Amino acid sequence: MKRRDFLKGVAVAGAAASVTGGLGMMPKAAYAGQKVDFGQVKSVKVDVLSETSWFDNAIFKKNIMDYGGGMTNQYDIPWDWDNAGGYMTKITVTPLEGEPKVFLMDTGWNNDWVDYIYDEKSDMGKLLTSKEVDTMILSHWHLDHYWGIESTLKRNPKITMIAPKTYYPEDMKLLKGGTNIAKTKDGKEVVINKNNVPHEGKLMLTDPKGEDGSGIYKIMPGMAVKMYDVPILLRVRGENVLYFNVKDKGVVTVTGCCHPGILTLNAWARRNVKDYQPYGCYGGLHISLFETWDPKFDDIIKGVKAFKLTKVGCNHCTGWIWADKAAQAGVPVVKGTNKYKTYKKYSTMAKANNVFLTNGDTVVF
Amino acid sequence: MLIDIVFEGVFMDQDLENGGKFNYLYGLINLVVVFCIVWFLWYLFMHADGVMKLYTPMYGFSLVAVLLASVILLSKVLGWPGDGEKALNAGSAIGKGILGTVIALAIMYFVYYVVFWQFIGGLGVAYFSPGALVAGGGTGAEPWNAREWASTAILYFSTAFLWWALVWNLGFGRWPWQKDGPWVVGFSKLIVVSFFAVITFAVMFHPHVCILFPEAQKMVGAQAWWEVWAETGSAFWGLGLVLCTLFWVVFCDLFWEGRPFTLMDKDGDGTFLRGIVTFLVTLALGLLLITVLTKVFNAIWLEPYQGGQYTDGPDWRYIHMGEVSGFCVLFAFIWKNYFNNFPNGLPLIPRAVIRSLIGVAGGLLIYWFYYSSLSNFFLGKVAGWAQPDDQPLVWTLLFLSVVLIQSEFFHNWPLRIARRDK
Repeated sequence: MKRRDFLKGVAVAGAAASVTGGLGMMPKAAYAGQKVDFGQVKSVKVDVLSETSWFDNAIFKKNIMDYGGGMTNQYDIPWDWDNAGGYMTKITVTPLEGEPKVFLMDTGWNNDWVDYIYDEKSDMGKLLTSKEVDTMILSHWHLDHYWGIESTLKRNPKITMIAPKTYYPEDMKLLKGGTNIAKTKDGKEVVINKNNVPHEGKLMLTDPKGEDGSGIYKIMPGMAVKMYDVPILLRVRGENVLYFNVKDKGVVTVTGCCHPGILTLNAWARRNVKDYQPYGCYGGLHISLFETWDPKFDDIIKGVKAFKLTKVGCNHCTGWIWADKAAQAGVPVVKGTNKYKTYKKYSTMAKANNVFLTNGDTVVF
Repeated sequence: MLIDIVFEGVFMDQDLENGGKFNYLYGLINLVVVFCIVWFLWYLFMHADGVMKLYTPMYGFSLVAVLLASVILLSKVLGWPGDGEKALNAGSAIGKGILGTVIALAIMYFVYYVVFWQFIGGLGVAYFSPGALVAGGGTGAEPWNAREWASTAILYFSTAFLWWALVWNLGFGRWPWQKDGPWVVGFSKLIVVSFFAVITFAVMFHPHVCILFPEAQKMVGAQAWWEVWAETGSAFWGLGLVLCTLFWVVFCDLFWEGRPFTLMDKDGDGTFLRGIVTFLVTLALGLLLITVLTKVFNAIWLEPYQGGQYTDGPDWRYIHMGEVSGFCVLFAFIWKNYFNNFPNGLPLIPRAVIRSLIGVAGGLLIYWFYYSSLSNFFLGKVAGWAQPDDQPLVWTLLFLSVVLIQSEFFHNWPLRIARRDK
């Protein structure tokens, strides 16, 4: 055993031994030993079904702040329904041999918006109904990624769902076919989500240990899910991340919000994936969520450049301002198009520079 | 009576300050009561399900930092209400305690909302005032963001002030105003401490907060000079360093009773040499502590890298070092006030070493509490490390403020005064 591993072991064991109950979240360490080989895929195509979880930053933020800030339970906030959209991604994976397979990542928030996206702006509704899409990866239990679950289940209630094990009772209540209610400041009760179609399919709950202690869950050759048990705002915990190993290119990550950090994802792969080569990423990167700036966001630009990613597709909680500054600084940001303008609603933050992959855009790795 | 024997033998100890016996059971009860008061205050002001919901987090963070700075300003810089011996009865202690608390809150309110928001921020340095920031416009410059940013700046300044106030007391003491009256000493120290706090803020924190909103105002401040080795442009590096330095200042002051720096005293008071040496040595020890904690954190979370988030972020590692120091500082004051700085019957060095070891162990105990499921219940915290909206120092500083208010303004009533009356 190397000295470093020994120290890690001592530190982690000491912390774990000293803590009983709900703390069991001591980070990393355990998987830094043997490198994993989860195969390769020929290509990965990502279609942006919807990255507009909400349409107006100011309203969304006001909802949070009016009810206690970032540590508030998301189920305690009577969200502004008109501002709700949702995050959903269609992922088409082409294996080295055989036919492409389509996956759904996340299921949005506002059912009206999700239905509109599924039926009018994409073929996802048909793919769900025909069971061609039989697996959904839930990145995390945030409202904008999960509360639209009824729209998916009414098309395919038996869909296999891969979700972080760090759910709360309210999350499971919704999945089983329930309604959650929040109170406004004047005591009025408001329905904040509902689901009339109980989930009947397989629910696969992920944890950081992965399958057999490897740290990952292999979905198909070249595709794996890894769960990061990180605390997230609005009392949520844990995020599933998709890893792809694209032949002749390298590792690609696909995320919902990427709360653990894009560099953490690549640092883990660098330490743990056999023959790791950095290549690209897609998803929300959770940086300048509310279009503010901080020196640490400059740090992330420098870090992404240092990690030598060659294809950075970002949107959602990344922050337009970060994507713009990153592109100016030489980060290979994949530009989007103006397709989003053909949708019935779009974000107030959308800008002409198209540094976001927005609704209707596609990126291929 | 058996209970009396137990109390005398186990719970009682010589009370160095008051020349009598100290009852540890009363100390423990006092601590539990203070914990409950802090819990109540947390629910009232900070808790996400509470009343005021100020834990945004930076607004609440800066408010408790200014509260603590106000308590320190009044008690340690201005020297009010002075020697506890003057308040040997409970009535006097309660009166002074209430008055001191009210004055400290008034100072906090005045400094925070009038001096920072209206005067300095409104008329000069915009990043101290949410209103001035919003008026200046720019992407993201709306009231909530602006208040968070102004709060960050105020927090940084308060930290610089706390550093200089405490290190000045430990090092320079009353120098060079030994022959002057208490108010001359107090206000002279206030001016000097404020002066050095301004310099410290300009060098260590301004390069962070001056960037404001996109596009970053890079011409307003120097590029963060610490980035080369700290691997972050965030001033959390400076925050961590100051708090790691304060760890040594407080431990030296409380546990080592001012040694070894008091060896340089002249006529029982501070000197210029003692001041300079104290400043430099505690700063060096602060850097040493950062180095040690860097290695410990690297062993647990592996090496951080520029741009890393959560536990991988160098910026988080630095503020976490400050949080660890903050836990130890809090415990040091708890040990001093509620456990009579046990042990007291040994020569200085062994008793100081034992206290220091207890202090570190106590800090780790608080660390355990904060990151255990207990804090989920008491504080409404989400389990885990490094959530960007989780700032452990807020609860720590609030706790410390209450402890100091009791010790400095209430002369530790009812713990010590009540027993003396008896």
